[in-house]
Amino acid sequence: MLSTKIASLDFATPLMTGSGTFGHDPAALRFLNPADLGALVLKTVTPEPRHGNPVPRMAEFEGGIVNAIGLENKGLAYWQDTVAPTLEGLPVPVVANAGGHCADDFVEVVKAFQDMNGVAAIELNLSCPNVQGGILYSTDSIGLAKVVTACREVSDKPMFVKLSPNVTDIRPLAKAAADSGADALTVCNTLIGMLVDWRLRQPVLANGIGGMSGPAVKPVAMHMVSQCAAAVDIPIIASGGAACADDVLEFVVAGATAVQIGTAAFLNPAVISQIASDLRSILAQENLTLADLRGSLKL
Amino acid sequence: MSLSLDSTQAVLAPIVATREVGEQTWVIDVEIEDITSDFGPGQFAMLSLAENSPTVIARPFSLYERPAPNRFTFLIQKMGKGTAALVDAPIGTMLRCLLPLGNGFDVAAVEQDVVMVAGGVGSAPFLIYAQQRIALGARENTHMFFGGRTQRHLFDHQSFDALGINMHYSTDDGSHGFKGNVIACLATELDKKRISKKSVIVACGPAGLLHAFADFARLRNLNAYLSLETYMGCGFGVCNACPVPTSVDGKFTDWPYAKTCTEGPVFSLADISI
Repeated sequence: MLSTKIASLDFATPLMTGSGTFGHDPAALRFLNPADLGALVLKTVTPEPRHGNPVPRMAEFEGGIVNAIGLENKGLAYWQDTVAPTLEGLPVPVVANAGGHCADDFVEVVKAFQDMNGVAAIELNLSCPNVQGGILYSTDSIGLAKVVTACREVSDKPMFVKLSPNVTDIRPLAKAAADSGADALTVCNTLIGMLVDWRLRQPVLANGIGGMSGPAVKPVAMHMVSQCAAAVDIPIIASGGAACADDVLEFVVAGATAVQIGTAAFLNPAVISQIASDLRSILAQENLTLADLRGSLKL
Repeated sequence: MSLSLDSTQAVLAPIVATREVGEQTWVIDVEIEDITSDFGPGQFAMLSLAENSPTVIARPFSLYERPAPNRFTFLIQKMGKGTAALVDAPIGTMLRCLLPLGNGFDVAAVEQDVVMVAGGVGSAPFLIYAQQRIALGARENTHMFFGGRTQRHLFDHQSFDALGINMHYSTDDGSHGFKGNVIACLATELDKKRISKKSVIVACGPAGLLHAFADFARLRNLNAYLSLETYMGCGFGVCNACPVPTSVDGKFTDWPYAKTCTEGPVFSLADISI
């Protein structure tokens, strides 16, 4: 009932974890019934180890959180030796997420992912707001196209390009990614934000700014999903504040083929199974399919 | 090097009792029928309201007591809307509980002197730890230094008194026990050799206290452990929001940070750099 297809991949449901919210490895999968999860999207891997940003790295506000983890990860070599072997034979497809400072960084990571049997698809994190240079590819369609084209040349695995919401108009970037060989777009990464401690006269996060996620960003992501769905012919994977079945169906109506669940999994790591169960009930009750609803938004 | 999540359970459980134990602080009991895992001293749970949570992330709380196999007690100080929602919730309110999490205290050998050092709600992991020591027959060589701003901040001290372990109270205003902070109180007892400097000394409390304790313990070359209270996004190792710097010569040699949630929250002072 919930099965979903993107490029050559069949997913049990349209629900995916959001990169950076379910770990570097499959350990947290134990909270979910594999039949409820479309794909496990793992945290960004960069060529070299990154120690991440100083603390505090996360803070909460009314409606969400702001984080500046800074892509902490042990680097590609560690991931290749330690994590990649654990991905083979998992009951759900794994989407590995690539990050870096320049096109060569992305190509290096994507090339490695291409050779890993446990990696079913690749997501390019061209939009992390917490590392210098990361945002550039998502605000400049020429730079973005170059990176996506270069990555496409070294991998034939389904490739998702994760876009930034921190732009005036997301459509030129969506088109650039689609024209450069992306199989799907993840829309979108976190919104840049800042929380301030007025007593200390300083930002709450040590990094100053961070990426805002959670329920408060859903309307922004919804608008961008709708814009991207109208602008390109490749599937859209919504990402931004979804926390329940109704949120998922709203994104599907706006044009999403799949929906990532991120911040909501911090509160409840089993939330995706809950959402899948609710989706089945709602669709049965309404006698509808996801295909009936997809892109049915009346504008 | 991280804790396996294999024993962690995500469950819904009702609040079955609440009790005020001092300034803005309560203990709440939840009843979990289908708990299958061990949940020991120093480990913690992420708690939130199951419905209409006013926060988008849960809050971490050490296990305070386990008065019955399926009953779990947590010490909660009202700090903001997340903790307020938990302590103000009526009996019967369902909580979302993720537990057990983290690595708890290594139960030191019976003959080993153990000294617990708590500041305010830093007492949270020590009641059950002391109970476990007593069950092992180690009541006589279990000591606790419990400090607070005032007597109202020595939360639930009657429960500690009832244990019959060696209690040392301190308050900033002198309203109960030693006048001064808990580390000064500990220093006095060490100096008078009423506490052996070979003891295992475990501290828990606010960041300022833990930093002061770390400096003190290093200076005196004590066998020290800390139970860290750090901001956590998830509690189960996926968000990377709770790093603590590691020491260059400790057990975390491969990375400059350890995750408080899965590699702690109890650390040997030798392994971290605070």
